[in-house]
Amino acid sequence: MPRRVPRMSMRELVADLVPDGQQLLIGGFAFGDPMALAHEIVRQRRTGLDVLKTSGGVLVDLLVGAGCVAELAFCHVWNSVGPEPAHAFRRAVEGGHPNRPAIEELSFGAMTMGLAAGALGLPFMPTTPVTLSGHDLVRRRWPDKLGTVTSPFGDGELVSVARAITPRIGIFHVQRVDEFGNGQVFGPTAELRYAIGACERIVLVAEEVVATEVVRERPELTVVPGFAVEAVVVEPWAAHPTDSSGYYRRDLDHHIDYGAATATVEGFEDYVRDWIDGTDDHPGFLARLGGDRLAALALRDRWW
Amino acid sequence: MSTVHPFEWFLINAAREFRDGEVTFVGFHWPMVAARIARHLHAPDLVVVYECGIVEDRLTPQLSTSPSDLRAAVGAPMCGGSMDALYSWLGRGRVARTFLEAPIVDRRGNVNTTVVGDYDRPTVRLPGSGGGTELGSLGRGLVLLSTGDRARAYPERVDYVTSPGHLSGPGERERLGYPAGRGPEVLLTPLGRLTFDSREGFVPAALRPGVSWQEARACFRWLREEPGELSELPEPTAEEVAATRHVLREAREMRYRLPADLPA
Repeated sequence: MPRRVPRMSMRELVADLVPDGQQLLIGGFAFGDPMALAHEIVRQRRTGLDVLKTSGGVLVDLLVGAGCVAELAFCHVWNSVGPEPAHAFRRAVEGGHPNRPAIEELSFGAMTMGLAAGALGLPFMPTTPVTLSGHDLVRRRWPDKLGTVTSPFGDGELVSVARAITPRIGIFHVQRVDEFGNGQVFGPTAELRYAIGACERIVLVAEEVVATEVVRERPELTVVPGFAVEAVVVEPWAAHPTDSSGYYRRDLDHHIDYGAATATVEGFEDYVRDWIDGTDDHPGFLARLGGDRLAALALRDRWW
Repeated sequence: MSTVHPFEWFLINAAREFRDGEVTFVGFHWPMVAARIARHLHAPDLVVVYECGIVEDRLTPQLSTSPSDLRAAVGAPMCGGSMDALYSWLGRGRVARTFLEAPIVDRRGNVNTTVVGDYDRPTVRLPGSGGGTELGSLGRGLVLLSTGDRARAYPERVDYVTSPGHLSGPGERERLGYPAGRGPEVLLTPLGRLTFDSREGFVPAALRPGVSWQEARACFRWLREEPGELSELPEPTAEEVAATRHVLREAREMRYRLPADLPA
């Protein structure tokens, strides 16, 4: 009998595993961003976090705007609809409001390779040639993030390498999970498998729990085996307003509304008051969105 | 046919850069819109790949808002990952043509989507790279799309090289280990179509009718004397305009920010 993986609520996850100052990698690539996690981090007023996120969408914008982030490593930060500006991120980096996080950047290919090295237990991985690019020249927090080696094969060509990235904890959205923590994802996976593998501790946020036989019918969908998973939070619609393949579409209106609302500091504070502090938890957030909105976004009318 | 807006002109000419049947890496924003226009016109069998691992080889029911909007994955023959997209397909050379938006691009095709001004105290903080660095570094047949029509979008040298173009000069990419035969080839702008010359940098191959050399030079300040012969981009056809307006209506529905003076 495999080991059952502990279940916890989102509130418990943040209270127990995301203390002030925690380093954490948050999964998702503008789809499958665990926004419910970000909301709870804001509700509990975490500060000083060291956040790694390949695609820093509205999730990173929100955490930065709420003053939760002291250090940030990313490939980009944007609002993927419109595109609306990532207002809070810009205020923080351009003007230091509410604080200016220390940032480090990598291209998506290099970050994928750094995470792959971390996942595979290797010191580094060859990557895209990046010599003399901005990412190569500008190093603020990770002086050794990139390097160049001479190929030991052939004519001694120069090869860019990305140093292994091994975050202390990673929290990832998946579509479904069984009681043993086997997590399954439909649709594109971007860097997900490597990001999961790179983290020392792994927690999943799942849309739903299914019988283990459902997982075992399609084992190729499993992106992380249960033996590597420390805990699971079950939270339907956890990725809203980003999308979740096979479950719900990207909520374009909420992306636009978020962008419009957060264009000013006051608007940002109103958004946090109305949508996060005022909703207590994710079911409360969903109630505020309303059943009609959810029905319009849903791609399926039943859960397993 | 009503007057064609310069932005429509730009998209029509961007769509013309796509080739039917080619495996094409499409970056965020106007490249996605131009690809969809091309699919309605001369390139129904275009094979688009996105950085998150989606292969899009037919018209999707809806225009997606970004490459990771899963509307792009509806009916996809494969949903892989970024290692597939950026390395197996792009780096390995299975992609024939690459499209990247270049809001700030310099004479040698280096693209900045990161910061304007000082890195630590930027005047404007832009989103950053995503996979844009890989497209500049590895993309074959790289076409840069810029909607800029002023000199500030085309500096002599960008403040930050997010996507490497031809860096500082001929041979530098090769010396630094960049694969041979890649790097930006075409820069398409509302003023015209520029092609890369290893000595001069990007120079106009054809201008939009009505755009003078002086106007081009005011925008691309590295240009020197007017060439003896300078061709004009062909006028758009009724089919091109219709397809573009159709896709722009979709873009409006999908909440794209469009130029304020674009007819509804």
